[in-house]
Amino acid sequence: MADRAAGEGDDPRRPARSGNYRDGGQRGLTRKAPSGLWGLGTQRRPGRDGALPYLMIAPLVVFIAALAIYPTVLTIIEAFFHSDVLTPPNRFVGFGNFTDIFSNAQVRTSIENTGWYALFGVVLTVAFGTGIGLLLQRPFRGRGIMLAIVILPWALPGVVEGVIWSWIYNPTVGVLNSVLKSLHLIGQYQLFIGTRQIETILLISLVQVWQITPLAALIVLAGLQTIPDELYEGASVDGASWHRVVRSITLPLIRPALAIATVEALVMSLNIFDQVYILNANATTGSSLMSTTYFITFSDLNFGQGYALSLFATVVTIVASVGIVKILYRKVEY
Amino acid sequence: MPKRRNRNAGSVAAMTLASAMALSLVGTSTSVAQSARTANTKTDVTINVAIAYPGPSKNLLDQFTAKTGIKVNYSYIQWDNLQTKIVAAAEAHTYFADVADVDWSKVGEYYQTKWFLPLNKYFNPSSLYSQYPQLASFVRNGELLGMPSDVSLLVTTVNTKDFTKAGVTKMPTTLAQYAADLNKVKSGGVVQHPLDIPFAAAEGLSTYWYELTAAYGGEVLSPSYKPEFTSPGSPGYKAMVWMVSAYKSGLVPKGNLDLEDYQGFSVDQAKNLTASVFSDYSGDVGTVYDVPSSSTVVGDVSYIPTPGANGPAPNLANPDGIGIPAQAKNVSAAVTFIKWYDEAANQAAFAGAKGPSEVISGFPLPANVGGLNDLVASGKVPGAAELATLAEHHSRAIFPAGAPPWYPAFSNAVYTNLHSAAAGQESVASAIKAIASQVASLGG
Repeated sequence: MADRAAGEGDDPRRPARSGNYRDGGQRGLTRKAPSGLWGLGTQRRPGRDGALPYLMIAPLVVFIAALAIYPTVLTIIEAFFHSDVLTPPNRFVGFGNFTDIFSNAQVRTSIENTGWYALFGVVLTVAFGTGIGLLLQRPFRGRGIMLAIVILPWALPGVVEGVIWSWIYNPTVGVLNSVLKSLHLIGQYQLFIGTRQIETILLISLVQVWQITPLAALIVLAGLQTIPDELYEGASVDGASWHRVVRSITLPLIRPALAIATVEALVMSLNIFDQVYILNANATTGSSLMSTTYFITFSDLNFGQGYALSLFATVVTIVASVGIVKILYRKVEY
Repeated sequence: MPKRRNRNAGSVAAMTLASAMALSLVGTSTSVAQSARTANTKTDVTINVAIAYPGPSKNLLDQFTAKTGIKVNYSYIQWDNLQTKIVAAAEAHTYFADVADVDWSKVGEYYQTKWFLPLNKYFNPSSLYSQYPQLASFVRNGELLGMPSDVSLLVTTVNTKDFTKAGVTKMPTTLAQYAADLNKVKSGGVVQHPLDIPFAAAEGLSTYWYELTAAYGGEVLSPSYKPEFTSPGSPGYKAMVWMVSAYKSGLVPKGNLDLEDYQGFSVDQAKNLTASVFSDYSGDVGTVYDVPSSSTVVGDVSYIPTPGANGPAPNLANPDGIGIPAQAKNVSAAVTFIKWYDEAANQAAFAGAKGPSEVISGFPLPANVGGLNDLVASGKVPGAAELATLAEHHSRAIFPAGAPPWYPAFSNAVYTNLHSAAAGQESVASAIKAIASQVASLGG
């Protein structure tokens, strides 16, 4: 931050901050976008590049079409067909697969559980991510190392994390039991996962939160880095407390980043699988929508119901994500 | 307007060109790969083998290649992951491997789905029954879907040192005596929770229940796949009550609610946190408990005749097999590999007859009588003679009529509900009812 503040005034390419509030002074400063490519050259007129942009994105379009659009369309179609390799032939059944899955108690439980996963996942990830982002906002000695450490869990596969945490939660030799007992918080070793639904979900959710919080922290940190120092300086001159600064300047101005971090946490939480599979197998106490989809599809071989459940999960994810963006996202311009 | 039209036309052309380039890149790489494959086929053959065991030693595989000219690209894939890969590849009609795992529990499914080739053209089941004690588990309506790649039994193991410390000098032969002895070990303070039952909602819990049901003198499903466990007096019902009571009474460690079978052996039993496994896997004494680097009970654990309601119980077969997926590219080479894998000398070597260098970690027992005899004769594996006798004369298929095609869904209901009953989320009666209801919905 200090480096940025020191250097930016000397950089002729850097646009000057106007200090004017384009939106009536409520949301932030207005920063004029740099003109031209990288802000160095003259502004290009639309159409001047001809086909080049399309040519450049075409490979990506092909891959997205092959790996995302085609499977999605296939899922939508197949969700309305009986597709069970053990009871052929495949046939159109309308909403039959949906009726079947929603009348299945195991599926209903997994939907309820997934609601809890989403709640815990989103709240904890965004809270921790924002907290870490705020801690790392200002430069300090060892900040780079701290950033690397924070990012580490993100680099680990979910299965590996599940295995690590299964030892932490282990009721016979687990670290958590050992720590709690040495602090005299428990009299004897406890079984944390498998007996009580909410406790089980919270503890499994924590493992995923541990994994995805780094990404949320980085997103929030990126948002924090864009807030002009002048605002903080002004608040300081006005004698605003840290709490007031966070509430009135920081949080409103990182709303786009918070929206992205929240959607990311929501999508990951709704799709939680690895940690559930490793820590709780297929027990109903912690089964998630994805683990149930997996078992229906690959164990029971009922692909039609698997497609229907996948489609349901996709729709829920999209609707919830759009809802969050609508509620949280506000365009911020400096 | 014309300009705009031209621009669109240019864009479409560019996109088409780019798409064509991208596709041609994919196409080119595919055709190059195909050409390479064809070229390789002319000089030698490489087969892909995917099995839920670590591979044979490099030395043995090199010998196979030298003898047959067939190169083996061996993939060891954890059992559950391997099943998912088999399903995904088969459903997509895609090549996956030339030789793959055929678990006994999947035979009915593969018979129905035709995902694996019948092997009758290459192996004659009727002439092999006498040589392969557990061959029946791989035959469905006369079709041989896989060749046994091992012999595996559900057996009872006991830490004799712990039992002796508790004053038990004569090993139990009945379930009542077994429970009484376990209580002695517990109350004597030798081991706080002496019995291992892996209560995680996974396959190992289901097989434990099958073995205990057999010990009570019954089966879980009739030959026509009807539930035989719904009456409170039935062996299956009694077995479930016994398991859940054992957990709730503290005979089983609390943490076993989330413990899978292999964790129970390597963590509980091998570290002396338990003193007995009622439904253990044959071979575990040699490959788990007597391994000094990871066990604290070396020399203390032995196989005992599995206690039953009125005396020693049958030991259920739990074998693995290998077969040829329907999309395999090199069927004849795959058959050659299966024959080599099942050779008596190799099977004995996998189980430890030639010392540690040729052992396949976790390999239970040789699939055939020849291999079993070689292993016993080598004298290098503890308990081999007893297990060989059990395998040849006392083992029984879990489902005498073969595993039903819907076995995975059935097993899923078994372990999910049995786990819930132990966790106190439902009663045994409710668990039994839910499992029976699932059987009915599956057409049993």
